[in-house]
Amino acid sequence: MNNLLAFIEDRTALVGLWKRFADHPVPAGPAVQGVLPALLVYLFIQQVVIGMMLALYYSPSATDAWASTVYLNDQVAAGWFLRGIHYHATSVMVVALVAYLAQLAITGMYKRPREAVWLCVLLLLAVVMGLGITGNVLPWDEQGYWAIQVELGIAEQTPGGGIIRTLVQGGSQGGNFLLTRLYVIHVFVLPGAALALLTGIVVLGRRAQRGEARVASATQPFFPSQAFINMIGMAVAAGVIVTMTMMTHGSELFAPADPSSAFQARPEWYFLPLFKLRMFFEGPLEPVATMVIPGAAVGFMVVAPFIDAKLGRVGRVLVLAGLGLMMAAIVALTALSISDDASNESLQESMKVAKEDAEKTRALAKEGVPTAGGPAVWENDPEFKVKALFKEHCATCHAIAGRGGEEAPDLTDYGSRAWLAALVRNPQEPRFFGGTKHETMDPYPVADVPDDQMQAIAEYLVQLSGAPADAALAKVGEKLVVDELDCAGCHEVEAGVEGEGPNLAGRGSQAWIARVIADPSAADLFGDEAEMPKFKAKLSEEQIQALAAYLVGLGGDS
Amino acid sequence: MSDDTSQESDEPKGAQPDASRRRFMMAGVGLLGTAVAGATAAPVVQLIAYPLSNDTTTGGDVLIDVGAVAQFSDKPLKVDLYADKIDAWNKATNVKIGSAWVVQRGEELIAMSTICPHLGCAIDYDEAGERFVCPCHDSYFDLDGKETEGPSPRRMDRLELVSADNLVRVRYQRFKQGTDVKEPV
Repeated sequence: MNNLLAFIEDRTALVGLWKRFADHPVPAGPAVQGVLPALLVYLFIQQVVIGMMLALYYSPSATDAWASTVYLNDQVAAGWFLRGIHYHATSVMVVALVAYLAQLAITGMYKRPREAVWLCVLLLLAVVMGLGITGNVLPWDEQGYWAIQVELGIAEQTPGGGIIRTLVQGGSQGGNFLLTRLYVIHVFVLPGAALALLTGIVVLGRRAQRGEARVASATQPFFPSQAFINMIGMAVAAGVIVTMTMMTHGSELFAPADPSSAFQARPEWYFLPLFKLRMFFEGPLEPVATMVIPGAAVGFMVVAPFIDAKLGRVGRVLVLAGLGLMMAAIVALTALSISDDASNESLQESMKVAKEDAEKTRALAKEGVPTAGGPAVWENDPEFKVKALFKEHCATCHAIAGRGGEEAPDLTDYGSRAWLAALVRNPQEPRFFGGTKHETMDPYPVADVPDDQMQAIAEYLVQLSGAPADAALAKVGEKLVVDELDCAGCHEVEAGVEGEGPNLAGRGSQAWIARVIADPSAADLFGDEAEMPKFKAKLSEEQIQALAAYLVGLGGDS
Repeated sequence: MSDDTSQESDEPKGAQPDASRRRFMMAGVGLLGTAVAGATAAPVVQLIAYPLSNDTTTGGDVLIDVGAVAQFSDKPLKVDLYADKIDAWNKATNVKIGSAWVVQRGEELIAMSTICPHLGCAIDYDEAGERFVCPCHDSYFDLDGKETEGPSPRRMDRLELVSADNLVRVRYQRFKQGTDVKEPV
């Protein structure tokens, strides 16, 4: 064993490196106060590993980003879980960084020689928030799309901001290049910066500790005492993150980015103070909220350890008062933003719609997203499919709502009482059989059949289709059709019986319409007079039924 | 800062934890560390292994129209095959999924995959030699697809061909490479 260790030490110096790490003297012994840097290291490593896992299933392109994220989240085993961990761990990282800043300021430890540690933590907070901003956009869902529009808008208000926006977007509009660029920033640039800053925090922090250990009366090696405490801290953090992930079932994922939608984007919770602050500064004053105040706050934090050291007691009071005030303002603005949103009905309503859309589009995405990109997922919607089918096979002759040919009956409001009454009133109208060779059935002018009688006839026809109808009125209609007007001379009402005109049994029901589509020239339907082609060879039974169901739906409840 | 001075001060001062306490803490570090790592490691493995137990790329295994019977003869003709397929998150409609050689052999019209059974290069037709050739590693096949020369371990892969109503249709399939027997992937 010792020989092996000696061999490894001789060739790699790893053993010495470990000893240096483990035997690092912790002044005044192990303490909970030392846990935060280790926690940050743990969170960072976990984010990197999980980030790589997510990248295995993610594609940063405007057409694929949403589809791949939905696939990752809703199909891949543990995808939602790891995505949720990745999301919530960012929040925990923000909390840990703010806590560390508070610890350094309150204990006064940010003074010499730890000013650089303080600055590293401050910068790391900015980097982590940057990771939040960029990561939020990558799924290219409604939330990400609209959030980046606002963020780029804010960037554009700075001097030279137009150039920044074009560079980040990779053009005048956000699309493929925006995603590739944000991806590179999120995956390479910011994690690289975070690694450098974390190294600074750990190495410089330990350097300061070694100095303190030299004059301390008691010290203990880092391993295992402090390492044990750190590990408990990490386990607690891991527990919190896993619990949050389970409770929220991962991270939210909205419908695909749609530039025509009215999505009301809200930033992540750690940006809510800035979001709310902006509301107090309208018009040309807006940069005060987006630049001046945040800039001043950051500037104050950068110089805080120096003020504290330079001005003695006054400096200490000044810094703590300043930081306390800032923290209070942040908490107040956050609370205000949350409570305002909770009572904002238009926001709640829009959120409800957004969540319904999210659920719908994610369900549709299960059968694969068309290569045209996220919003094309609506093409998987049965309603969209049947409309496309109608357009392809029926609209050359039949029109709906002004779109389609005029050779065959217009199907706008097909099967409604008004449509039926108008049809019986005059089948030869251009909107009915006027464009066809069918001219056997004569019109029934008002003089022969008054409107109230026609209403009864329509009611009877509705009843025949199986739809809910006024039974008393239908009875009147039935009498007119069968006896008084002798419609039955051409139209049989007993199923299957052939007549000169189409059999009326079940007329207008889905099954009847499906039969017409499949073969309109059947003897008990339009027979020899049918001009419409048979579709039973061209369309599948499901397609015919879908079309029939669609036509039944056109009449509505009228 | 020089290492010498720091090494000197690394010696622990004051009261130190006894051996059993040290052992307890070391075990704690190990156990908690395993638990924390395990909480993400298990889902990570699941996520990586997802394609092992789930079809991530499907479709294309239907009969595909390749043209009228009349266009084929005893001279091999290469046809491109278009079909719908699912590629992970995408549903692609009518995209190229591969190609096949179609040739009349005696009474029978046959279709063979253009993928070489050796290492998967595209098999070409050598018009002068009236034989098929895989240009990557010089495998040769006769017009029946039988391997004649070179490293190919088996004959060219036959594809199901259906000829009805003057229409030729081919079912596209991929097979394992490098093996003696033809086995679908």
